[in-house]
Amino acid sequence: MYKILLILTLTLLCGCTGYQRNLNQLATSLNTTPPEIILAKLQEAQPRKRDYAQFHLNKGYLEFINGDFASAITTLTLAKKEMSVLQATSVSENLGAGTISETLRSYSGYPTDRVMVHNILALSYLFSNNINSARVEILQADIAMKKLADKDSLNGQLASTHLISGIVYEMLNEQSNALISYRFAADTIKQRGQPVPQGLKQALLRMSFKLGTEQQFFDYQKQFPDLSVENLHRKNQVFVLYFDGVVSHKVENTVVLPNRGFDQLIRISMPAYPQPKQNIKRIQLSVPEQQLVTEAVENVEVLAREDLDKEYPSILLLTTTRALAKYELVYQANKQDSVVGLLLNIATLISEEADLRSWNMLPASIQFAYLETNQNELKINESNGRSESIDINNSSQNIILINSLSDQVFQYQRP
Amino acid sequence: MKTKSNLLLALFACFMITACSTSVERLDSQEQVDLSGAWNDTDSQLVAREMIEDSLSRPWITRFITRTGNDPAVIVGTVKNLSHEHINTNVFIANMERELINSGQVQFVASATARQEIRDERSDQAVNATQDTRNAKSQEYGADFMLQGQINTIIDIDGKTQVRYYQVNLELISMQDNRKVWIGEKKIKKLVRFSKLRQ
Repeated sequence: MYKILLILTLTLLCGCTGYQRNLNQLATSLNTTPPEIILAKLQEAQPRKRDYAQFHLNKGYLEFINGDFASAITTLTLAKKEMSVLQATSVSENLGAGTISETLRSYSGYPTDRVMVHNILALSYLFSNNINSARVEILQADIAMKKLADKDSLNGQLASTHLISGIVYEMLNEQSNALISYRFAADTIKQRGQPVPQGLKQALLRMSFKLGTEQQFFDYQKQFPDLSVENLHRKNQVFVLYFDGVVSHKVENTVVLPNRGFDQLIRISMPAYPQPKQNIKRIQLSVPEQQLVTEAVENVEVLAREDLDKEYPSILLLTTTRALAKYELVYQANKQDSVVGLLLNIATLISEEADLRSWNMLPASIQFAYLETNQNELKINESNGRSESIDINNSSQNIILINSLSDQVFQYQRP
Repeated sequence: MKTKSNLLLALFACFMITACSTSVERLDSQEQVDLSGAWNDTDSQLVAREMIEDSLSRPWITRFITRTGNDPAVIVGTVKNLSHEHINTNVFIANMERELINSGQVQFVASATARQEIRDERSDQAVNATQDTRNAKSQEYGADFMLQGQINTIIDIDGKTQVRYYQVNLELISMQDNRKVWIGEKKIKKLVRFSKLRQ
């Protein structure tokens, strides 16, 4: 019986750690290696069925930043469906997680993943010139956030999603919806203790003015006295999003202790995030009459930590239960045969690993800037010296996405 | 004892393998099958049939025939998807077109995209076809009415339970003077309970 358990444990876990370690290395090397190379390497990997959602999230995101929007839509839609199916509880997976390892559970996505997937899909549709499908995604994101809403926590509430929703609604001339979304974005940012970007303040002012909600407009004017509403007639609107860096991935904190009788070792492994990197880069945007920099809308590092914090108590409980179950198993085996007991103890030590899975290729921060101009050329200067010029048509609305991982700049233009 | 447990193990393995294999079953296209609770072919067919039946039973059609002596010519325009689902509105439009044509009460004009393709072909005929098989330009049948609409949804969620409310609005607009001669509305409400457990 114990031999079977030993073989089963080792077979089940063989390759688990290796795959995740490789994935974390790939995510880290995104900062220095072109995303198309990382995508090729990722596709070489053979994920286990229980890691499919994580695999598809990362693959879809890489396809997105490589500009392959059709593939990104297919892959991320698949990830979305997988995460939705996995919201139901599996008894066998929970049993495996409670007795052998946390990684035996299927990756069902953290709250951030379940909302962020709609962001990337909405942007993929926009850059494929399909704003109506982008609208569908933002409606789905709204449902996802409502599902996750909790009066005591902001977990799963993304300011960037509300902002993208606002932009899409504004482009579709749904002014009331746009104002509501911009307001949600600003409220979420304030609740996280961050400063509201100028572009978002302008959006609140602009939409309340357009809607003719006088009281609201005056309130915003009082709140933002340095801003004014310009006549948008014949002006170009430019919404710039900047994806900076790569979010950090989880690390394992492990403690190995002998039991009181020194006849077996007990290992406890918990996931944790390292200190977030502080070097947030911004980009500078300029047209002849004005110059501005992007401002943070979403700190994905914070979101990732919030996700883990929320799960931490249940992870701790399960890890403790598992340690007790493994201890008892080795203890019983030791009583029958000390060699089998020793082998089983080794197996329980190897099998005990923290679940380090996450959507680890997301940007570390999402930034935003907005400008109105009569000019037809926008200059972008990145902190790494890279500069780019973007053509803007007369009387157009534009969404521009720049990311620090590749040289590609994506633009959606609407007359 | 050992033989018995091996036999049980083999049986369990067989069960697992059978449970995992793909199976395909052909269904009648009219059969109602709801898997996820999302908008599906049944909704599309049902809404198209009911709404077209309603539109053809209203007085605008007899008024038009009395006034002109001809059957009205109808064209289906855009049906906007304002729902929270990626709905292929082309399927819904095709269903409505079929219902309209098969009713025999109206003439039906091809859509803008189809018309352009036909015009291209006619231009080609003008150069390459013989005179007696050639179709002349400027002989198109103009539509009298355009059907436009939108699909909206409202979703209410509580844990694993969802109420999905679909509302389809269609309008028939006179091409001559932009008058709305018919407005139709069809509502579908679905209660979806998601499973709490999976394999």
